[in-house]
Amino acid sequence: MVRNIVILGGNSHPKLVESICNSLGLPQGDRVLSSFSVGETRCEIKDSVRGKDVYIIQSGGGKVNDHFMDLCIMVSACKTGSAKRVTAVLPLFPYSRQPDLPYNKTGAPLSKQPSTVPGSNYTFESVPATPAPGIPKSAGLANGMDGLSKRLNRAQISENNIHSPSVIASPAVNGTNGANGVNGDDGYFKGAPSSVARTPGAFTTHDYEKVNHFTSFQGKPGYKQWVAQAGTLVADLLTCSGADHIITLDLHDPQYQGFFDIPVDNLYGRPLLQRYVQQNIPNFKDAVIVSPDAGGAKRATAIADSLNMEFALIHKVKFPHSSRSFNPETRQERRPTKITDRQNATMMLVGDVANRVCVLVDDLADTSNTITRAAKLLKKEGATMVYALLTHGVLSGDAIARINASAIDKIVVTNSVPQEEHKRLCPKLEVLDISPAFAEAIRRVHHGESISVLFQYD
Amino acid sequence: MGDMANEIKLLTGNSHPSLAKSVADRLGIEIAKTMSLNYSNQETSVTVGESVRDEDVFILQSTAPNNINDGLMELLIMIHACRTASARRITAVIPNFPYARQDKKDKSRAPISAKLIANMLQTAGCNHVITMDLHASQIQGFFNVPVDNLYAEPSVLRWIRENYPDQDIVIVSPDAGGAKRATSIADRLDRGFALIHKERPRPNVVGRMVLVGDVKDKVAILVDDMADTCGTLAKAAQTVKENGAAEVVAIVTHGILSGDAVNIINNSCLSKVVVTNTVPLGDKQERCKKLNVIDVSPTIAEAIRRTHNGESVSFLFHHAPAV
Repeated sequence: MVRNIVILGGNSHPKLVESICNSLGLPQGDRVLSSFSVGETRCEIKDSVRGKDVYIIQSGGGKVNDHFMDLCIMVSACKTGSAKRVTAVLPLFPYSRQPDLPYNKTGAPLSKQPSTVPGSNYTFESVPATPAPGIPKSAGLANGMDGLSKRLNRAQISENNIHSPSVIASPAVNGTNGANGVNGDDGYFKGAPSSVARTPGAFTTHDYEKVNHFTSFQGKPGYKQWVAQAGTLVADLLTCSGADHIITLDLHDPQYQGFFDIPVDNLYGRPLLQRYVQQNIPNFKDAVIVSPDAGGAKRATAIADSLNMEFALIHKVKFPHSSRSFNPETRQERRPTKITDRQNATMMLVGDVANRVCVLVDDLADTSNTITRAAKLLKKEGATMVYALLTHGVLSGDAIARINASAIDKIVVTNSVPQEEHKRLCPKLEVLDISPAFAEAIRRVHHGESISVLFQYD
Repeated sequence: MGDMANEIKLLTGNSHPSLAKSVADRLGIEIAKTMSLNYSNQETSVTVGESVRDEDVFILQSTAPNNINDGLMELLIMIHACRTASARRITAVIPNFPYARQDKKDKSRAPISAKLIANMLQTAGCNHVITMDLHASQIQGFFNVPVDNLYAEPSVLRWIRENYPDQDIVIVSPDAGGAKRATSIADRLDRGFALIHKERPRPNVVGRMVLVGDVKDKVAILVDDMADTCGTLAKAAQTVKENGAAEVVAIVTHGILSGDAVNIINNSCLSKVVVTNTVPLGDKQERCKKLNVIDVSPTIAEAIRRTHNGESVSFLFHHAPAV
């Protein structure tokens, strides 16, 4: 039997922890994991971990940041409790997929970010309005056109604010504020805070209850704003909290493994999905495997190849911002379907799906925009039935409602994140149990056996 | 210094925009354009809207009760974003250090979370930390980078001098751990000192209390570094009152006031609870008339300015900038 091993579970997915423990024939490690009333995580490992091989199972769904901090704290607690080795088991890896487009609360992409440089009078002589010797202290007109355009910009954003005109109209007030700012001398402490011209309800980018503020968020002129990619950071944080080994499932980017300096075993959900196709889709040899976007083509072709099925691909064509009046009929490519005016994107299908069963394959469905759109297109192209096979069914925001209303006939996911609630709300949902794969991986890692057999399925 | 680059860039997360605003106003600069929000899957996303290349970046993030972990991840992502965007130096300004109370292995296999947070901040790429009234100043030793632990004490002293210039006051420490903090204030005011000894069976639960010292017919000022659920404070106030104090006032640096704290304060015999604005108070000031706020943004702003200019910060340990 498996000895010297402790399996601990986080709060994100107790069901999965239970079934992994059952598969391994081990009791779950005893731990306290809750939070103090202030919201800080409270963790205590009750069982001894000294010299043990510890596996901590925590998935990425739900309250991602809380779960991730819980995991880091548990790893750190085991490490300081003299565990021999700590392996973090993350069925869904948090922050592994970073969209490059900001999304709003419900998950729909925000309007296209302006690609042109705002403020045509921008010059590269612009100086950040920071006090320094030789630089005017004021952010007002003393800085020239740059300061003025910045003020005008702000006034424009908060145009409903009755105070804002006074901001523009009172450069003199700003000037005196600047003089009261940092002078470096003893005069500083006597300075009054420059609250005169600061309007109380002025625009702030840190107000995420007011969605319309995002759309008006603009970077500084001449600077292309970018979204921070947290991938490496999350990898580093896990390592720094003391994880010696990572086991995860279907990473969105295979390159993610390279962000770690510790071994990462990336399991595949493919065999499970493949088996589902073989066993549950009648005449599956006549069906078509479809990848809903170009990025997932490799994943989908792998299944199509090993099952000897046909393959089709949907790809998004993005048209330049200027061609808003674009007419799909005049385009040379086949059957474009315009999705929304706002996005100016068109989906193209490559391959034939008429009168056939389609199987959409992807690694992750979050807002499920992609797969529902793809299903719509497939039905329009004459598909008789559309299955969607996904490893991770995050299904956040209004994804469930979208799927229920969509052309998808059946959606199949693994239980890498809790699916009980999803299943209750979505009659089309079917859940495959991934726990045996994790149990086997844990057993093999613990005994030092090769786990590459888990990757070979054909 | 005459360079165009290497200016102060003040960034802030979502946790405490009003403090960031006052610090920025005080410094006479604008908060850098960043936007952070949550995706629908609750992952945090940070968008940087201006260049930080070769700049002296200060990221202000406090800890909003019940959003501790979100705020922390936001801060870490921001630090990392500035690091990858080639900032010259990144200073995390964390007025209320999260997980500061989990600073020792008080039980077997208990995590030293404060140390973990210190490691995480450094891993993300933080070069310097500015914080205020650390629960235990030893937390500075968890870092391999400089940590400036500011004190709210000068601001607190000023508040006491302004509000109780002539009364007969006595400074009371609600627990033995805070004795040093309280005696320091008592010494500088040249007033008496008393101490409450308490037994704490479980976290967030308060046991029996014993008062050591004389508070009879005096204004008792309870001094502590943080007020969380306020169970301790209310009970201490009760103890002091029972020992004959004329009035009981509490002054705490970090008014976390989580859970049912507002009701507990309203129903307690405390006449005033004075907190600093290191922690966002939300609507608590409306719900609790006893709450008074000391603005510490001048101290934080001055620390940022001095750090940026390479001046000594220790002056601020004994002097509060004029408001």
